[in-house]
Amino acid sequence: MNVGIEALNTYCGVARIAVPALFAGRGLDPARLDNLMMSEKSVALPFEDPVTHAVNAAKPIVDALDPAERDRIELVVTSSESGVDYSKSIASYVHEHLGLSRRCRVFEVKQACYAATGALQLACGYLAAGVSPGAKALVIATDVSLVDEGAAYTEPAMGTGSAALLLSDRPHVLALDLGASGSHSYETLDSARPTPTFDIADADRSLFAYLDCLTNSFRDYSDKVSGVDFATTFAGLAMHTPFAGIVRAAHRKLAREHRIPDIAEDFARRVAPALEYPSRVGNLCSGSVYLALASLIDHLRPTAPVRVGLYSYGSGCASEFYSGVVDAGSTAAVGRMRIGEQLAARCELTFDEYKNLVAENATCLVPVADKSIDPDRHAGVLDRVGARRTLLACTGVTGYHRKYDWITVGAA
Amino acid sequence: MSEAVRDVVHEVITEILPTVPADRISGRQHLRDLGADSVDRVEIILGVRERLGLAEPLASFSDLRDIDHLVAFLTELGAR
Repeated sequence: MNVGIEALNTYCGVARIAVPALFAGRGLDPARLDNLMMSEKSVALPFEDPVTHAVNAAKPIVDALDPAERDRIELVVTSSESGVDYSKSIASYVHEHLGLSRRCRVFEVKQACYAATGALQLACGYLAAGVSPGAKALVIATDVSLVDEGAAYTEPAMGTGSAALLLSDRPHVLALDLGASGSHSYETLDSARPTPTFDIADADRSLFAYLDCLTNSFRDYSDKVSGVDFATTFAGLAMHTPFAGIVRAAHRKLAREHRIPDIAEDFARRVAPALEYPSRVGNLCSGSVYLALASLIDHLRPTAPVRVGLYSYGSGCASEFYSGVVDAGSTAAVGRMRIGEQLAARCELTFDEYKNLVAENATCLVPVADKSIDPDRHAGVLDRVGARRTLLACTGVTGYHRKYDWITVGAA
Repeated sequence: MSEAVRDVVHEVITEILPTVPADRISGRQHLRDLGADSVDRVEIILGVRERLGLAEPLASFSDLRDIDHLVAFLTELGAR
């Protein structure tokens, strides 16, 4: 059975800061910009959280379905390392605010930046089993950033936002190569979020694990799939992107291992298209590889069926290399979401505005019984958003229950 | 053996960090002290590993204290 991604959308906030401005504000060494390969990063506003990010990514997908199709969404999985409660899932709020059928499995998964891919593979396995013909699944990766100046060069790399994937037997965006996947996982503490207020990260341990896992998961993939040639099997590669510079290094490593003669040409043709959006957003955690996929499709613009490779890595660690087929329908389906236009419409923050927002966002995930949040307090930023749009906003917490409402942002 | 390994390490460092003079590299320094960012450090480890014909996983290089430690570890790997 043909299954995979029917629709793909991302939500990458309504505010951004230019990375050179962030470097200047923090006193970071501009010589490091070349290897970072980041131009902008998305910034959340204090009424945004993992729930609003997820709903704001998935809503355009759900709205495009007719009521009968919407009712075929039988599974909603959120993947996140930004949980809002030890027990209650982000998915429970998302299911409610997307207005989905109550005949639905709803839960949340966690495995750092890999989790969405694990959920996608399990959901596609369920769909392919054919036990509920015509069923759809919604997998939504959603995270917020908690980094500040203490994170040094990681701060410019961390984004905020969500990637929503509608999975079904009508894979307009990516027809999954079922069973064609390679994994490599082992226990390590390379990065983690031990409390709701800060992350820990060991840069060398994490990047070395990312690179070892790429080689080994691709080897596992090649062992399972006959006739694979790294140089010719894939028209494009979308990889988990902690920052674009490490993806360039990862490609170089794999290209050397597979004796690609002109590595720079290969990178420009097959990988750089997947880095256009990530280099303007930052790391979306488990949504990152799917922002890269959207970028690849929007910039490669396939007109005939071609195979693409995807590499997902999550600290801790778990990884997977898998593949699927994209075509002209993918170009049309991803293009309808106007992701590039939404990125361009984000309000550009000054460094002082950014600093104040980072301080307020630091408590986003801290559980409190009651609090009130007024989105109107940020009208000065919201009025500078270039495209008018309706968004879900968190308006507060009552008895540990998060409250949400719809708001309109952007110049009229 | 370890001097030959040290020569390779210094050679790769100066290739990846061309602004660092060879005589500024001391065994007591971490690659970070020479201005190597995380991507440079990846490239340095990949470079010495390739030049010495070693297949050791990168993860084994996660806990290096300094360049002396790197040279000692590479020497030990080469003797295995």
